[in-house]
Amino acid sequence: MEMSMVGCSQMNAERVDLGFQRLPCCGHERICNKRDQIKVNLRSKWRRGAIRVSLKEITPEKCIVREGCLKMSHDKTNRLPLFVGLPLDTISACNALNHAKAIAAGLRPLKLLGVEGVSFPIWWGIVEGETAGSYDWSSHLEVAEMVREAGLKLNVAFNFHGSTARGITLPKWVLKVGEENPDIFFTDRGGKRFRDCLSLGTDELALLSGKSPLQAYGDFMESFKSEFSNFLGSTITELTIGLGPNGELRYPSLPENPNSTGVGEFQCYDKHMLANLQQHARTLGHHQWGYSGPHDAPPYDSSPDSSNFFRQYNGSWETPYGNFFLSWYSNCLISHGNRMLSKAAGIFRNLPGNSFPVRISGKIPTVHQWCNTRSHAAELTSGFYETSERDGYSDVMKMFAENSAGVVLPSMDLSDSIVKRVKEACDAHGVSVSGENSQLKGNSGGFAKIKKNLEMGLAGFTYMRMGADFFSPEHWPLFTDFIWHLEMPEKDSDDVAVGSKGAQTFGGVSVSHESKEKTLQLQA
Amino acid sequence: MATLRLKPSLHHHTKWNPRSNQKLRNYSNWNPRLNHKLRNSTFSGLNCIYKRFDIRSFSKIKPGVVVRASSTNTSVEEAVASDVLFTETFQLKRSEKVEGKISVRVDHQKDDDKSQVAIGCNLPGKWVLHWGVTYYDDVSSEWDQPPPDMRPPDSIAIKDYAIETPLKKSPLAVEGNSLYEVQIDIKVNHSVGALHFVLKDEETGAWYQHRGRDFRVCLLEDLQDENDKVGDKKSFSLWPGDFVKMPEVLLTAIKREANGQEPNGDGKDARKKAKLIEEFYDEYIFMKEKMVGNYLTVSVQENEEKNKALVLFDTDLPGNVIIHWGVCRDNGKKWEIPQASHPPSTNLFRKKALQTSLQFKENGGGSWGLFTLDKELAGLLFVLKLDGYTWLNNNGSDFYIPLSAEIGTSSVRPTEKINAPEGHKEEDISNDVKNDTWTIEESGSSQLEKSQSGANSPVSRVSYTDEIINEIRSLVSDISSERSANMKSKDARESILQEIEKLAAEAYSIFRSSIPTFLKELVSEPEIEKPQPKICSGTGTGYEVLCQGFNWESHKSGRWYSELYEKAADIVSLGFTVIWLPPPTESVSPEGYMPKDLYNLNSRYGTIEELKTLVRRFHEVGIKVLGDAVLNHRCAHYKNQNGVWNIFGGRLNWDDRAIVADDPHFQGRGNKSSGDNFHAAPNIDHSQDFVRNDLKEWLNWLRNEIGYDGWRLDFVRGFWGGYVKDYLDATEPYFAVGEYWDSLSYTYGEMDHNQDAHRQRIIDWINATNGTAGAFDVTTKGILHSALGKCEYWRLSDQKGKPPGVVGWWPSRAVTFIENHDTGSTQGHWRFPSGKEMQGYAYILTHPGTPAVFYDHIFSHYRDEISALIGLRHRKKINCRSTVEIRKAERDVYAATIDDRVTVKIGPGHYEPPSGSQNWSLIAQGQDYKVWEVL
Repeated sequence: MEMSMVGCSQMNAERVDLGFQRLPCCGHERICNKRDQIKVNLRSKWRRGAIRVSLKEITPEKCIVREGCLKMSHDKTNRLPLFVGLPLDTISACNALNHAKAIAAGLRPLKLLGVEGVSFPIWWGIVEGETAGSYDWSSHLEVAEMVREAGLKLNVAFNFHGSTARGITLPKWVLKVGEENPDIFFTDRGGKRFRDCLSLGTDELALLSGKSPLQAYGDFMESFKSEFSNFLGSTITELTIGLGPNGELRYPSLPENPNSTGVGEFQCYDKHMLANLQQHARTLGHHQWGYSGPHDAPPYDSSPDSSNFFRQYNGSWETPYGNFFLSWYSNCLISHGNRMLSKAAGIFRNLPGNSFPVRISGKIPTVHQWCNTRSHAAELTSGFYETSERDGYSDVMKMFAENSAGVVLPSMDLSDSIVKRVKEACDAHGVSVSGENSQLKGNSGGFAKIKKNLEMGLAGFTYMRMGADFFSPEHWPLFTDFIWHLEMPEKDSDDVAVGSKGAQTFGGVSVSHESKEKTLQLQA
Repeated sequence: MATLRLKPSLHHHTKWNPRSNQKLRNYSNWNPRLNHKLRNSTFSGLNCIYKRFDIRSFSKIKPGVVVRASSTNTSVEEAVASDVLFTETFQLKRSEKVEGKISVRVDHQKDDDKSQVAIGCNLPGKWVLHWGVTYYDDVSSEWDQPPPDMRPPDSIAIKDYAIETPLKKSPLAVEGNSLYEVQIDIKVNHSVGALHFVLKDEETGAWYQHRGRDFRVCLLEDLQDENDKVGDKKSFSLWPGDFVKMPEVLLTAIKREANGQEPNGDGKDARKKAKLIEEFYDEYIFMKEKMVGNYLTVSVQENEEKNKALVLFDTDLPGNVIIHWGVCRDNGKKWEIPQASHPPSTNLFRKKALQTSLQFKENGGGSWGLFTLDKELAGLLFVLKLDGYTWLNNNGSDFYIPLSAEIGTSSVRPTEKINAPEGHKEEDISNDVKNDTWTIEESGSSQLEKSQSGANSPVSRVSYTDEIINEIRSLVSDISSERSANMKSKDARESILQEIEKLAAEAYSIFRSSIPTFLKELVSEPEIEKPQPKICSGTGTGYEVLCQGFNWESHKSGRWYSELYEKAADIVSLGFTVIWLPPPTESVSPEGYMPKDLYNLNSRYGTIEELKTLVRRFHEVGIKVLGDAVLNHRCAHYKNQNGVWNIFGGRLNWDDRAIVADDPHFQGRGNKSSGDNFHAAPNIDHSQDFVRNDLKEWLNWLRNEIGYDGWRLDFVRGFWGGYVKDYLDATEPYFAVGEYWDSLSYTYGEMDHNQDAHRQRIIDWINATNGTAGAFDVTTKGILHSALGKCEYWRLSDQKGKPPGVVGWWPSRAVTFIENHDTGSTQGHWRFPSGKEMQGYAYILTHPGTPAVFYDHIFSHYRDEISALIGLRHRKKINCRSTVEIRKAERDVYAATIDDRVTVKIGPGHYEPPSGSQNWSLIAQGQDYKVWEVL
């Protein structure tokens, strides 16, 4: 009941009630306070369609009561805000608004379904594409306005990476710098550059027209903050900070295809990373370890056992050198995440006016390749020092927790073991987790997997993504079905005692009976 | 007592309409009969009490024609008359839906094991069946063309995937119901698994589909894709039997729900076991949208005594018509609500507007209403609301009716509109659904605001949603009042569910229409919105595909021009836009590359007349023609006193001063050559003005006399590119390409990976022409030789990850080719690796640059594959400036994505486009190459 009620408004309150009467599983409940000012009488039969609801004597107090219950129920409701991703090409590479009509048409059914909002990727390469320091937000503002008009929330994802596959590169002026100094990009052992993301080794080096990448990211976010000040905290409720390739906190260890079955390669061969490695090695008194990455790591598409480094047993990863390298490699990543998140937190912590705080989050990859082997090779190359002997996600989540940032986990429709592990690490540090699916699945199997993953208790879920397929007659009914059942535990509510923790919701708006009753008692 | 006075006011007549004879005609048509009730009311309280106000006559009133009203009803005691201040008839256009039925019948004739599919439609119209088949063993969802003997007469093939067959009026029509039908015979040995179709209305251009998809008639068993098969009812309940209107041209037909009965699927399941579906009949309801014209006449009369204005509405719109209105006090047209005493059946709408229902006319032909308003008001603003959610406005803005004479005659009505007769017709009122926008503020305080945004503004759609949300809200408040029955909420809930589904369906269709499909190829992709570069001689339109229209043997028949004439239609059907013809001049060698008399165009290819006819023919079919201009050298007619052949004859009777000085064979007296020497003939000295002027004159003569559109310039290594620019500036060709052919760099017999020096020389030449000409991309050809011939596909990416040829550096000026009359044909100076030609074409026809296809390859067994690739190139709008993203360049495979919509792979190795956000579909393939497109 929290956020959606916050906008005050009778309107939302009433929609909650509608939610009741659409619930197929309402029990017989009677909630009233002692003064009898409010009677909410919910009676329904466990059969489809026949639900009777009556509200009596709606008094002005109603609002107060509801607002009261806001505070009460803050942590207790099971409400899961559901977001839907806007099309990836909402803003074209040349910074023009695409599909405006279609998106506007698409927002309406979403709103009616009770979807909380939409998520909207913002690309560095588009907004600040031509010249350093000149930002063009116009088409993005249009989108935000459209979303606001539709009465939806907006989750903005800052993409500080490029996606060559989708025709979106890093800003041209950055690429130009990269032509002269290709070492600003992630580089693999063969010297191949990953031109879709700046190497995290450059974070604090003033290589971009006198600015460091971190400063550039920060200026970008500052510019966003000032342009979207009217939206921040009202329409915009969450900012997902791009932390690396594909927006995720990781190395581009599998640059061609992150879903490849190979182990990937370490990406620490640009000169800045190597310099850092060398310095680190010197500090530890192992200067001979600082000249390069592991010489016995296999190429991209290999299996862990194809060479010595990741070998299940007696592999180099278990040696002191392995520990040295992997610690350094993963710590670099964590420090990078820390720099990015604390920068963002600093910028968006104090929003002007009485707007609500914006949730800040970052994406963690779900590297499912080889995650059940001892060496967890693919996780190691992507920067997570997680092995069967070591908990690598804990340090990462600690960093998130320190920055009060949430974690976004993609691929909720694919993997579950890795999702589970990351979730545990998050829980241990009190980091909230929201989910995303990797792709539109035209079958209910994908939804079943998502549902299963959601049972872990997430702070939100973003469904990817709006488009023709999304609204197609094959997919849309599955999606509505998914929403109907998402937050309604499929139990006969006769089995649920009144006042139990079971929350009943109508698409994103939930009503916790427990808290409501408590509130009512308070009133009394 | 009624004191309505209708008074003639001639000065208005003349001002508004000079055609006074018309006035008289209309006068007789104007016949309001005011009944006795009029007498019982005073005018101040007169609010639409004219119950029997006969307004038939209004329908005949033309806009801009002044009408004088009078009463013929004798029961009216006082003759009432008033100034008619304003009359205007608005033509309303709206769409009306007519329900039609599409029927599919399958009959099986056991004897000869064949089936007949009859597809019919019961609405009159020019129906065309757009159809294709999928074969039994083909799992893809792509359409194929049916075998020829399956195609009914009058069928037209649409490219290579569909057939269009018109529906004919069926003799089987019963009970006066017209039935348009097409019958298709299917034999078992066709192994056609299913038939797919959409129905097209030729008149409106609308397509009718089944639930947003093709209709699909399953003919053989096993093909049980349950989801979208016609006749399948699964999951149907989620799409209730409501007819979803798809905007624009896509309309969805939804299967009749058989009066809500159980689906009849059981019997069909049994039948599916049969090899060929034996019998099958089903009907699908669809809604055909028809544009219907209606009118609305509004006239304003003045009642001076009461200082009131009477506004009379008259329309033939059927059904309940609501005037959603307000008034304004000045020209700002700001909506206000007039003071009380509103017409009957008026509701206040969110404190911002009034909604008044018009009353039905007695004869049933529409509605009317009469409003009384204060005269101080400047005007009346309104829009019409029809049943449901249809809103009509006046071409995107509110209807505006001036109330006072001053405004009415001066500022508001633009005089030109009144004077111009055609102005009347322009009063079209678009039927944009709800152009005006009602937005509700976030606070929910039901504030209604008039938004200025037009119908196309995405934001305006919000209002619609908000209205539904409002309804949900009112539903809740309904519930809260105990009286409201449960039934009501149930119905309302159903309607909301339906509403959500409708909205989703609408969003679906809009999204679909913004994605190019084969049905709507013309829908432009967003990224093509870049401004079209203007046509220039270096690139043509940028979308050119060049056909080399000869080989080394073409001169042999002596009638090449005539032979090509026959092939012109064929060549255009393959997708070529430009053809390069052989050198036309008299020549020492039969192939034409040793020109002698430049003005003698009778050559071994045919006569000048044949050439002109041929060029005309190509122009008829829409192909531009390039002349092969040999400017570097020219063979002499005569020997000089030393016995050296260096004196020219014919119209350009130059002497040895026109020949470059640095070739000892010809003892030229001109300047030194500005380029390389061609040793077989005297090289012309382009540095001299007289030579250049003569050549410009000759080229212009070719342009005008023969009709050449552009040039292929032979051996441009022989002279400075700046002269080429001079020639091109003088002749302004549509397209020009130069042959700058020199050797690639090799080290120890192995071609170097880096051919930058080679392509740089070509680029330098293009630069010298100032980009007025393109150049053959010899570099790309050379690299393809090694890459394909030796399985070294890594060569296809340069150090910077770009294509390694000219096309990687200056794609718009690169004319890519894999073979020409010199390199291949019977000369074979530098033949493309044998058997790899299609890989070469898969490369150049999908990549930027302007691809050129060699004649021998066009008319060979590669023809269909080449044609498919050219078709793809046009369809996906790949052009000379397209962008290439190399995905893979490894030993045995090269893959690249062009413009994000086409991915090509060549080489024996494996590559599949990533199954990410884009939906790649294999569109062409052959020996060691595959091409995918984004769906």
